[in-house]
Amino acid sequence: MRYFVGRVMQALIVVWAVGTLVFFMLRAVPGDPIQALLADVDPRAADAIRAKLGLDQPVWVQYLFWIRNTLSGDLGQSLYGSHQEVSQQIAEAIPRTVSLALVAFLISFTLGLTAGIVSAVKKDSFLDYGFNLAAFLGISMPSFWIGIVLIIVFAVNLRWFPSIGYKPISAGLDQWLRYLILPGLSVGLPFSASIARLTRSAMLEVLGQDYITVARAKGLNEKRVVFRHALRNALIPVVTVMGISLALLFSGSVVVENVFAIKGLGRVLIQSILNRDYPVVQGSILLVAVLLVFMNLAVDMLYRLIDPRITYD
Amino acid sequence: MNEQMKQILAKLTRQEKARVEEEHRRAYDFDPRDPLFGLTTDELSGPKLSRRSFLRLAAASGGSLSLSHLLGAAGIVLPQAARAVAQSGGHLICGWAGTAEITTLDPAQINQVLQFQVSSNVLSGLTHINADLVAEGDLATDWSVSDDGLVWTFNLREGVTWHNGDPFTAADVVYTYNRSKDPQQSIHSGNLVNVLDVVALDDMTIQLSLGRPQASLLVKTLERSSGRAMTIVSQNAIESMGLQEYGLKPVGTGPFRVTEHQLGQGVVLERFDDYYDPDRPVLDKITIIPIPENEPLAAAIETGDIHLIGGNGVAAELVDRFLANPDLVVDEIPGNGFQSVFVNPWREPMVVEDFNLSVDELKQLNGFKVRLALAKAFDRERFIQRGLFGRGVPAFGTINPAMGFYFDTAINETSEQRFDLEAAQSLLADAGYPNGEGFPTLKLLTTPGGRRQAEVIVDMYRNNLNINIELDVKDFTVLIEDANRMEYDLLRLGSGGDFDPDDGLVDWMLSDSRFNGANRNDADLVDKYGERAFGFFSADRVDELIHEQAVTADPDARKALVQEANQLTSDKLASIFIFHGTEILVHRAEVAVPPAGRIVGLRDLDRVFFN
Repeated sequence: MRYFVGRVMQALIVVWAVGTLVFFMLRAVPGDPIQALLADVDPRAADAIRAKLGLDQPVWVQYLFWIRNTLSGDLGQSLYGSHQEVSQQIAEAIPRTVSLALVAFLISFTLGLTAGIVSAVKKDSFLDYGFNLAAFLGISMPSFWIGIVLIIVFAVNLRWFPSIGYKPISAGLDQWLRYLILPGLSVGLPFSASIARLTRSAMLEVLGQDYITVARAKGLNEKRVVFRHALRNALIPVVTVMGISLALLFSGSVVVENVFAIKGLGRVLIQSILNRDYPVVQGSILLVAVLLVFMNLAVDMLYRLIDPRITYD
Repeated sequence: MNEQMKQILAKLTRQEKARVEEEHRRAYDFDPRDPLFGLTTDELSGPKLSRRSFLRLAAASGGSLSLSHLLGAAGIVLPQAARAVAQSGGHLICGWAGTAEITTLDPAQINQVLQFQVSSNVLSGLTHINADLVAEGDLATDWSVSDDGLVWTFNLREGVTWHNGDPFTAADVVYTYNRSKDPQQSIHSGNLVNVLDVVALDDMTIQLSLGRPQASLLVKTLERSSGRAMTIVSQNAIESMGLQEYGLKPVGTGPFRVTEHQLGQGVVLERFDDYYDPDRPVLDKITIIPIPENEPLAAAIETGDIHLIGGNGVAAELVDRFLANPDLVVDEIPGNGFQSVFVNPWREPMVVEDFNLSVDELKQLNGFKVRLALAKAFDRERFIQRGLFGRGVPAFGTINPAMGFYFDTAINETSEQRFDLEAAQSLLADAGYPNGEGFPTLKLLTTPGGRRQAEVIVDMYRNNLNINIELDVKDFTVLIEDANRMEYDLLRLGSGGDFDPDDGLVDWMLSDSRFNGANRNDADLVDKYGERAFGFFSADRVDELIHEQAVTADPDARKALVQEANQLTSDKLASIFIFHGTEILVHRAEVAVPPAGRIVGLRDLDRVFFN
């Protein structure tokens, strides 16, 4: 328990450091949001807007305000348009990002594990070479390009799936899935390629171990050897990587979100960085930091459950 | 005349054709010596410019009359419009190109064309421009103006209701004025500097008092989309919903009401049944989805997932692909903007410290010779082919061809900037750089999106003048800051959404224009360049002309002033004007956009219907 409290404290310090760094770095980067906002309007309104948004204060005063507001749960408002709440933008984006990440995760998990296991078991067969080639292609092709190819093939030519957009799960599971298949594949395929590679090498290593030979010598059938004895042990590094990649999926599908016109967390972040929309950048990076830090923490805690031999005290 | 027009003409009865011919004759039937072109002061200054008055002015200015004008004046309803009633209903899905979200629909905060393209379907102004960029009554039915041009009285439309059921009255206009005038509440306060007061004479009449006469009042300030300062908003809705909610789902008096808006994911508009014109809108529902990337946008309209494209213009490289697709309609008309390469007059070797010299005197200066060499070596036709896939027309000033009446069709032959490679090369030699030798490497400031065009410019100058230009690519937020501080050699920038000559001249070419070195009085700029520091251009005569045209109500007199100012900015090289974009509307063939609903720069969807 003491260990747990310590880790949480550490995580909070990391989150605070990330937030502070982002706060000051943003203001050091060239580009004035107000001048860009007013590019087409009255420059005399600039001072009024700066004052209203508190941007006329010294940076350290702005920082103290930001700390105070963040601690009280107020992430602030966008500098642009009608100054929408940052928390609302994030809250709207999260279901979309989680949906996309989930579908992509399932696709990469299923495809990656299957291909990896088959490749390892049928080592040096045509199937193995085929999966290897596919995996290399998958790793080297950028996901936005896969997305565009998928759109051209499955939306424009075959008309199986819609080309763009997103439907929330409240519109029905089938609709939700129909809109997420192509973006899910675009994000999931490159991930599945790396999972396949990882699974293959982990499996090969395990399959060469003495206890597998023993199992085979005992006369167990091959299915039992592979799934019961080899896979379970080979999965440990794979699961670790998949835990991290799930966290990455939450923040890393920016380009695919743009291709399929889905406004997820990644797009909120990129858009706000380009606009120098300070509060939105700060809010969304803070959230991503919290996600990554606490997911790592959760994975560490899970190790203990998976393997009781691991202790931290 | 396009194919559609020919078909329409073929369908007219003999009597209808006779009426069209009569309108044509009538338009040209005036004594050319008459300063008012045979129109009365009433017809010219108010209550409103009738179609006939407009035809007369267009004829008098030597412009050609389009069939749609003549049909309208002859009272002939276009066949599509008649069919539209029969084909009402439908759900139109639109893709808004090149944007990740429609940040706001509150006119007080709108600063992008792609935003007012949406709001123009939801909110109303006192006036609205039609397809000829002439102001027509929107919430105002008619108006009159005092002899000194300073007091305008507007009669408001009776029986108009807000989307929330409230009645529309003069109090709404006064509220909008007070809100927009306040820089704390609106970013458009500057547009109302000349409007000293707005009072409600009664529930259905309002009176505006101006500081000085203003020619662009109806087309710019009071216009519902381009104006934005006087796009009428509901006090009751703003106060009950709060600003954030109103920015997403503004309550208006327009043909459609916003029923859903998730930032970045889309806007849903539904038909407003109590709209003041019972024939509009035709559609039941519109969904607008922002689509930031080109390829998915193209795929979406090719598959029919979207029916029509709005937002930022369609990328030039997609147009030929769309033209080849029989499922799509591509309608290209002159765009309402200009694009330039600005040349910093404070940097060697392009220094010009005084643009008040005559053009001949300027030509004696080495700095001006270099500027002129750069302008004359700019092969606009070739640039438009290579950089824009042929989608544009050469520019020589801020006044664009979409403005029709004010556009100078001869400027491509009279401007000092016209392409002449030999002259450019000898100017550069005269300035001390024969064949580009010894010419310093200049930096061209542009945005990531402008990189492709900028590469074409760099290549052209290398070939034509043997000089080197490097790209300086910066995000728009940084580019604007550098532009305002005059931190560039060459700057690639331009304007869109220009409906009135003021949009080009007042906003860009005055010595104190908002885009013309907005920070020129800042200490660091004065330190660097001295007390006389200005932005990229400053000429007293040009300032005079621009101020004068702004207060000249008579269209022909104003036209002369506008064109003189435009010519001077061209000849004295306020910037190297490179092209006017074209405005390209792409929609599915099953969607019909009647000519009256095709307003440059806008996506008014109230007349659009499904075939």
